[in-house]
Amino acid sequence: MIPNFKAQSKWGWLVAAYLFLAGLGAGAYVVGVVASYLGSDWSGIAKVGICLGFPCVTVGCVFLILDLGTPVNFWRAAMRPNTSWIARGTIIISIFMILSFIHVVSWPWPSDAPAEFTGASRCLGAVGAIFAFGTMIYTGILLAASRPIAFWSTAMLPLLFLVSALSTGIMAVVLIASFGSGNEGPIHSLAMFDIPLLILEVFVLGFFLQATHRVPESRASAQLVLNGSVAPLFWLGVAVLGLAVPLILDLLGAYALEGSWAKAAAILASLCGIIGGLILRQVVLSGGIHAPLRAGRFEIALPIV
Amino acid sequence: MPRYGFVIDLKRCYGCYSCQVACKAANHTPQGIDWARCVPTETGKFPAALRQMVPLICQQCAEPACMTVCPTGATTQDENGIVHVDKDLCMGCKSCIMACPYGARQTVDEWQAYFPDAEGDMDPYESYAKARWEEKNGYGMATKCDYCMDRVKEGRQPACVESCPAKARHFGDLEDPEDEVSILIRRERGFQLNPEFGTDPSCYYLPPR
Repeated sequence: MIPNFKAQSKWGWLVAAYLFLAGLGAGAYVVGVVASYLGSDWSGIAKVGICLGFPCVTVGCVFLILDLGTPVNFWRAAMRPNTSWIARGTIIISIFMILSFIHVVSWPWPSDAPAEFTGASRCLGAVGAIFAFGTMIYTGILLAASRPIAFWSTAMLPLLFLVSALSTGIMAVVLIASFGSGNEGPIHSLAMFDIPLLILEVFVLGFFLQATHRVPESRASAQLVLNGSVAPLFWLGVAVLGLAVPLILDLLGAYALEGSWAKAAAILASLCGIIGGLILRQVVLSGGIHAPLRAGRFEIALPIV
Repeated sequence: MPRYGFVIDLKRCYGCYSCQVACKAANHTPQGIDWARCVPTETGKFPAALRQMVPLICQQCAEPACMTVCPTGATTQDENGIVHVDKDLCMGCKSCIMACPYGARQTVDEWQAYFPDAEGDMDPYESYAKARWEEKNGYGMATKCDYCMDRVKEGRQPACVESCPAKARHFGDLEDPEDEVSILIRRERGFQLNPEFGTDPSCYYLPPR
């Protein structure tokens, strides 16, 4: 008999906001570091990206701490790096936050002049980028560590969150930089670079859903996401708002629109894509279904309420 | 050192929920927490349908998934196989709830009165239960069954075993081949729930009829 599968409800929007902001912040930081190597034209982009990293990840961590049952104990999170991924992830994120904070405050503030990237700053950026990648991948590994939830426990999830983090990071940088008085050329190029990333994200999302076919509980997760109570959130929030709209607007901005219209398209694409990134995390969380308990022919769906 | 284990005889259980109520009484658990549970299941289609009660408790795994994901070190395992949560170390991240294949980890945010009077106040018995719960467990952190270790240390049986009128529950030492639980597992082909998760539960079930 097929049990009445129910999705987990213990991790909700607060955890989704954390997964999203940690990914976005780390993604934006990587964009900024890469831009800092590309010469003075890109210094505006580099500043925006590097400055976005620390605040976004910090706000994300605040959301995670708010989700804890006993938040006063949050500082104990790194006590068992030898076994748990949360402990290792906490260490990775803490190092990233420290490095990105140093990176931001090591500039003279406030400064309208193009930032100068010295050797020390670039070294710091390179090391910080490694931990930024760690942060982006860890948000997926955090969920993948729950073995009884087959929907999460796949190798595709860290990849999906990595691609989404880079994509939302780019879009956040494009969004903020568009409101500045900086050079338009690099912003346009960056928005164009998001097109292949969005296409890649469509494929990774497809493979992630395709990987659910192996066990009944993850097939039920896919049903829930594609056809069940989470489906409106998935199709409208992730498929349309998060992927189709930014892709179409970015393509229009690249080949059809000019001047301020292209800029408006890039801003709108970024806004939609960023919201879609948050909804993607929530869709993945609310699709998590535990494996049923099996006693001979009898099956029990978890959680039992 | 013993390895404490359970044997639950599915063919004897008739679903009276004594274990669930006895656990509540013995451990003063609030609403929303049921360390011992009795779950009705069915299989097949009429006229070949079958019903079965399946009692569930913490399986006290030899390789606990909850301990592997616990980031704070709040989850520890005694030499006798019992897995504990230290309420002062747990930060309530709920990752053990996600990682436990058996749904044994539970958490509540507040004490909801079972039998409030007109003013919403609790009677003295429930106030006592609330105080005991807050002393040994609490709100926000993960809680779980510990096979009534306080009672076992006094030489008694866990509350759910003591109360089972069908004698469907047996508690003992899995390491001792002469112990009742070891003999039952050998003779009646005891099996573990969901062995595919590789946690080696210390709770065995005897097959239904």
